[in-house]
Amino acid sequence: MNEERQTASKLLTANVKAGGCAAKIGAAELAQILTNLPLATSPDLLTGMEHFEDAAVYRISEEVAIIQTIDFFPPVVDDPYLYGMISAANALSDVYAMGGTPILALNVLCFPTCDFPIDVVRDVLRGGATQVQAAGAILAGGHSIQSHEPIYGLSVTGVVHPSKILTNGGAKAGDGIVICKPLGTGVALLGMKANLISKNADDVLLKSLTTLNNKALEIALKYSPNAATDVTGFGLIGHVHEMAKASGLSAQISVNRVPLLPEVYELADQGFVPAGAYGNRNSYEQFTTYINDVDLAMMDLLFDPQTSGGLLFSIPFEKSEQLVKELLASDIQAACIGNFRAGTSGIVEVASDERG
Amino acid sequence: MSVDDKAKRQVDLRGLICPEPVLRTKKLLDDASIESVEAIVDGEVNVNNLNRLARSLKMQFASESKDDNFVVTIERKESAAAAGSVASASSHSHVDPANMKASTTAQSEVGNVVFLGKDKFGDGDPEFSTTLLNMFLQTMFESGQRPRALLMANTGVRLMAPDSPALKVLNDFKEAGCDVLACGLCVEFYGLKGKIPVEQITNMFAICEYIFAADKVISP
Repeated sequence: MNEERQTASKLLTANVKAGGCAAKIGAAELAQILTNLPLATSPDLLTGMEHFEDAAVYRISEEVAIIQTIDFFPPVVDDPYLYGMISAANALSDVYAMGGTPILALNVLCFPTCDFPIDVVRDVLRGGATQVQAAGAILAGGHSIQSHEPIYGLSVTGVVHPSKILTNGGAKAGDGIVICKPLGTGVALLGMKANLISKNADDVLLKSLTTLNNKALEIALKYSPNAATDVTGFGLIGHVHEMAKASGLSAQISVNRVPLLPEVYELADQGFVPAGAYGNRNSYEQFTTYINDVDLAMMDLLFDPQTSGGLLFSIPFEKSEQLVKELLASDIQAACIGNFRAGTSGIVEVASDERG
Repeated sequence: MSVDDKAKRQVDLRGLICPEPVLRTKKLLDDASIESVEAIVDGEVNVNNLNRLARSLKMQFASESKDDNFVVTIERKESAAAAGSVASASSHSHVDPANMKASTTAQSEVGNVVFLGKDKFGDGDPEFSTTLLNMFLQTMFESGQRPRALLMANTGVRLMAPDSPALKVLNDFKEAGCDVLACGLCVEFYGLKGKIPVEQITNMFAICEYIFAADKVISP
């Protein structure tokens, strides 16, 4: 990134109240909004809205189902190119989370073009296009309007074999839970905004945010995972809860094994916690049981809304170690952080071994 | 505030977007010559974030709501609250449920647990039995009993309804540092969802943990 562009677009995040997936409407509120919505069903609609799936999946033949998803949010960083990359990675991830391959993407763009030089919006789109290309999909158009706050994202179409769809449901008792990116983007982005993170932490954060989840999926598919999702707006606990609930199981997470972005623990400890983390706590705390003392900063990170978060796989436990090894060998910061077990559906137990 | 009293700062942080309020407060407190910061903030998120800041700096924290805003005071003073002790945290007018939860899992400390599985004391005339239970709770509080937790299930959750005569004494127990918790399933079943503070709603797992970790379980 060059100096000039940085100054020109200094204000990209200036007036954004909640960037990235922190801008998501909370689960509880969403459930209220969606009640009484007339919904058509079809035997070919393989996933609907009932389990907060990452995308809709529709079977068009015995061999092919299409995955349809849309995701967009206000700027999370001031660099427009990186913002475009991050938002696109986040949108494409929903297709990977269903076990599919993206084939087609459309831009979704709301932009106050008078407030920014034309280069800024051009760079946002360029960042997105780079990612779509890297994903092997085709960017085929889009829709743009004027708005007060910049918003960018993608609508993505993917394909998957109908028998190979990965949903929130399908986890089996005894499965290991494997996460494929370090946690804490919400907290880290606040730290970045506050100018409190080091150059190194900044680099690691941006690399994680812009990394596509295609490689992680490709590796995991070799190990036949039973269920998958990606960790985004509802935070780690929220998404583990949705998986557990959809699978009729409870889950246990060992906090010490959860990989964290650099410096986020210290930031959370000092109160750099986004509003979305408190919202997630309100929505999901009733399903959360603490087996022993988990400190506050760590809990905040477990509820931290993630932007462009990692994939989360439920995979037979005996395979999970080998999977993590292979992911690590491909420079993917993965870890097995717990397991699913028979128990009250949807309960997430959080345990900590003594720290270091 | 006397103008020359530089050690005590008052700041108005309303209208600022996160992380500005916590960042500005942190910067003030990084200056060792400042003894205390009184900040006006809008929104509970800011109160919670400033509470965490105070904890990590081991300073004293207090907050009260004023009209639609909150006045937060952070003082450079070693305090038990900063160390995360439950009892002192709950003496503040605003208690972040996270603090409670963080330092009060059932296994961390053993004590007596009162289990209230109905809103009555014994069997008899319903109204009279409810009055007796209120008397029991009142007497228990006044005689200085401070159980580890008071757990409410089944019709017991009605004790925490906004119109319950027992609500005041239950809040007294809470203020005194006891965990006062209602079974979430029961709250929902008896139509009290939204009427009981969310941080006081728990699940069967936690209830089991409390009961099995307790020295004694008292169920009147």
